[in-house]
Amino acid sequence: MESQRGRYGTSMKYKIILFCIVLIAAFFRFFQLGINPPSLTWDEVALGYNAYSLGLDGKDEFGQFLPTAFIESFGDYKPPMYAYLDIIPIKIFGLTDFAVRFPSAFFGTVTVFITYFLIKKIFFASKQNELYAIAGATVLALSPWHIMLSRAAFEANIATFFLVAGIWTFLCAIRGRKWLLLISVVLFASSLYTFNSSRIVAPILVGILVLVFHKTLLKMKKESIFSAILGVCLIAPLVPFMLSPQAKVRFQEVNIFTDPKLIENRNQQIINDNNSLPSRLIHNYRVIYGLAFLDHYFDHFNPSFLFTRGDINPKFSIQDTGQLYLIELPFLLLGMLFLFRKREGYWWIIPVWILIGIIPAGTARETPHALRIEAILPTYQIVIGYGVICFAGILRQAVRKSVIRNAFYALIVILLAGNVFYFQYEYYSHYPVRFSADWQYGYKESIAYIKDHQDEYSAIYDDSTLGRPYIYYLFYTKTDPREFRESSTVKRDVFGFVDVVSFDKFHFVKDMSTVKKDPKNLYVTSSEILPDKARELSVIKRLDGVSALRIYTY
Amino acid sequence: MNKKTIILLLIVLVASVMRLWQLGGVPASPDWDEAALGYNAYSLLHTGKDEYGEVLPVILKSFGDYKPALYSYLAIPSILIFDLNTFSIRLPSAIFGILSVLATYFFVKELIYLKSKQNKDSNDSSIINHFSLLPLVAAFMLAISPWHIQFSRVAFEANVGMALNLFAATFFLMGLKKPLLLSLSALCLGLGLYAYQSEKVFVPLLFLVLVGVFFVQIRKVSRKFILFALLAGIIVSLPMLIAFVGDVGNTLGRAKGVSVFSSQSDSFKANTEKMLRDKQQGDLIGQLVDNRRVFYARQVVENYLSHWDINWLFLQGDIGRHHAPNMGLLYLIELPLVLVGFYALIFGAYPRRMKLLIFLWLFIAPVPASVTTGVPHAVRDLNVLPMFQVLIALGIVETFLWIKNSSVLSHKSFLYGRKVLYSSFIILYSLNFIYYLDEYFVQQNYFQSQDWQYGYAQAVAETADLAQDYKKIVVSNSGYMDQSYIFFLFYLKYPPEQYQKEMSFIGGGTSDRRIGKYEFRKVDWDKDKDEKTLVVGMPDETPETAITKSKIDFLDGTPAIEIVDGGK
Repeated sequence: MESQRGRYGTSMKYKIILFCIVLIAAFFRFFQLGINPPSLTWDEVALGYNAYSLGLDGKDEFGQFLPTAFIESFGDYKPPMYAYLDIIPIKIFGLTDFAVRFPSAFFGTVTVFITYFLIKKIFFASKQNELYAIAGATVLALSPWHIMLSRAAFEANIATFFLVAGIWTFLCAIRGRKWLLLISVVLFASSLYTFNSSRIVAPILVGILVLVFHKTLLKMKKESIFSAILGVCLIAPLVPFMLSPQAKVRFQEVNIFTDPKLIENRNQQIINDNNSLPSRLIHNYRVIYGLAFLDHYFDHFNPSFLFTRGDINPKFSIQDTGQLYLIELPFLLLGMLFLFRKREGYWWIIPVWILIGIIPAGTARETPHALRIEAILPTYQIVIGYGVICFAGILRQAVRKSVIRNAFYALIVILLAGNVFYFQYEYYSHYPVRFSADWQYGYKESIAYIKDHQDEYSAIYDDSTLGRPYIYYLFYTKTDPREFRESSTVKRDVFGFVDVVSFDKFHFVKDMSTVKKDPKNLYVTSSEILPDKARELSVIKRLDGVSALRIYTY
Repeated sequence: MNKKTIILLLIVLVASVMRLWQLGGVPASPDWDEAALGYNAYSLLHTGKDEYGEVLPVILKSFGDYKPALYSYLAIPSILIFDLNTFSIRLPSAIFGILSVLATYFFVKELIYLKSKQNKDSNDSSIINHFSLLPLVAAFMLAISPWHIQFSRVAFEANVGMALNLFAATFFLMGLKKPLLLSLSALCLGLGLYAYQSEKVFVPLLFLVLVGVFFVQIRKVSRKFILFALLAGIIVSLPMLIAFVGDVGNTLGRAKGVSVFSSQSDSFKANTEKMLRDKQQGDLIGQLVDNRRVFYARQVVENYLSHWDINWLFLQGDIGRHHAPNMGLLYLIELPLVLVGFYALIFGAYPRRMKLLIFLWLFIAPVPASVTTGVPHAVRDLNVLPMFQVLIALGIVETFLWIKNSSVLSHKSFLYGRKVLYSSFIILYSLNFIYYLDEYFVQQNYFQSQDWQYGYAQAVAETADLAQDYKKIVVSNSGYMDQSYIFFLFYLKYPPEQYQKEMSFIGGGTSDRRIGKYEFRKVDWDKDKDEKTLVVGMPDETPETAITKSKIDFLDGTPAIEIVDGGK
């Protein structure tokens, strides 16, 4: 086995295993991709439609030509990368649910592939690096966390790919293939255009990598200088936006430092201490904010979040398994301990990566948040894989009889398989039914009805509170963005939020009682009770049987 | 006296100051459990019976929660000396807390001198020297531990239970050399069963762990000592076993009330719905994986793991009564030390059995709490002490060693590197300690007086003053005034024999009761308004127009209890 492996190469056996892992990863990510999760959320639809629009005339839905820093969308200023990556899938598969999610599933699968090589690079000094890599990639392929986030159009999942690939190529450059440094720069820069959290994580990570490897980088002057120049050029378009008030507003909305209770509590404590100097010292603002930050930061190590329930948002977790499988807990602990014990190769990258990856989420109010810390994937999976191989090593030393050893291995495989099966089973059997509301189920079905009947009516009014119906109408009626820009009425409020009032014959209202009752109009509402004399034409039910939308006329 | 003894005495002094200073006033008021244990002790002292007239009980019925009775017996001497008050009922807990600090020293000392291969291998005297610091450091860490101080300063049975476990383990380790002490160990284990509910699960587990880890050594001990110890343990635990078996319904009733298997949580309901869907669709696999038992198993695991939550341990704690405000159960600065300590426990050059015992103790401590609701729970998990402090001590000693021997720090560019590191460590720790002192002794009474059911001392005294003018006194027992009767008994020092005779339940239940002219029940203003009636209740139970005789506020200024004349 040893002799078959070259310095950089991978033996045929491992190539086949890797191929199988990627195949499994692809299966878990692509199977029924357009059907489960049961519906596209508004963000997914928005990304899909913007990709469609960009693919037609290079402009986003509102006519911005080749947006770089952001896509305005609902006024949430989405980073544009996902929409660009989605152009080709939409050209190929059309404007469908599957096509919108394709980039996420695709790059999710590629991440598994790259992770294999990343692990080999991190543990280059170990004889067992091939095994670590196989184990780590397998764990990632099966990871409920990564599977869930690869099965919907989450920008974070693409950002994770860029980070993983960026670190891998950086390490490759350090280990001799110098020109890969340029690729690494491109990948890191891309992550900045992909997901907000990466705008904090990537710079810190790169900073630390440069700091640690500064001697090597100084030796490869040519490559380093070119990379630096390239980096500056790639980041430049983003800088004006990052310094703009819009970016600030978005940050303040979610951050913890604007909570007035913190200050009230602090002031009361100082009053209780008779306003003494030491009291003002220990209850100083930095301490208060520091503790609040740590509080949210440590939330991400909550055992229930990691191992039993997962994120409370059903979009990121089925609520019945953690972000990791329970069976992985002992191996995570073991792996972490041995990581620090053996200190193989660039082992330190992993703990550093975890600690940095959580920083952005620690400043936000809703914690723990599986999506905002997706930047730390696949560190846990690498450590778990590492732990499994270390455990096997201990077993080999401690247990002489191979029968008992094999029994142990079988037990682990059975338990892991059980965990995977449980997750997959719940995911396909109960998950869509229980959580279709969280995926904003109903629009696609209501628009299907409207498309068939719209010619019979002169106008269509929608007051649904499920959120942003206009984008669903654009998406599912495949309205040409050029027409939309011509015929739409759009309002923007002081915070920059965008409100599409109408386009074509579709009108989006907040309160249906202000709309004229006319038999020539068609109405869609999420309200339970219809107005007097209304004639109900169709009821759209969620998958759990609760009605979501009602279509009526007079 | 050698240096170590002096230091140990100083540590015990610190522990005593931390546990005895202002014992009767911080926390601001005894909570209902403290008052109940105190009054039952008072009742036992004067009548030999508990509040319900049970002669020398091993289990107190109390509020129907069937408290193990040991604490009340322990409180008798201090009540005899200091009379029935907040200080006297908390004193036994404080004393056991101080003894635990001392016991930690001997426990760790026994552990590090266990014979082991590794010890023979490493003859480096400097390492041995540092290891010999471990017992002192661990004891000191427990002396200033917010978690341990929290429960040493209140009449909580759990603290005595934790101390008895520690005594048992220490005597056990000593007993391997002086076998007579094994009986003392068995005695402590047996007594633990009378101390706290969790112990009924923890004590058997600890027994198994001790016997399992030291099986080889025990086999070398002469049979008669072992038999003697076993006999001592069995005799001590017999009354509890009999009471337990004889009254299994009630004890299990209490267990059921707090267990996960009877909770109707949202996730349980969600699971039931899934199961229903599986049945409708005839999905056999679904019925297997969505089975109630699978759900419970997952719930127990989740509860267990919740006791390792960093936020709970280091920043937040659980309910107000279980931690100082604005902080967790351990000092924040101890987080890295715990991690280093854990690493050292696994890989360090310590006796193998020491490692195993500490590791297993940590591992089994949250088991009793795992089958209950309301987790993580700092009281039910109290048995994990002092293992955290041992980890912290390991962390400190290992870090100290690393700094001392680090070649990086020997480089001349780090001339004062070591001194800077040591002093910044000490400064940070001190700041953290000062922060705790402020939170515990200054802020706690303000922020948490409601958690400690503050207000009764004043309310009872004022009601007693007014009592002669009224025929009937109605005291609310709803909301946060649940079980208010015990506070009246406690503060009035109501003669126990009189109470046992007078008390009668009203309204058919077992919580509303009449004692003399006092009625403890829900206030029904429309019926109770009568000029010969005095009403003691929460502010929203009586109309604002009523004649308020007195208002008592919580220490943060929010209204707590109002004493109202029933007349117009």
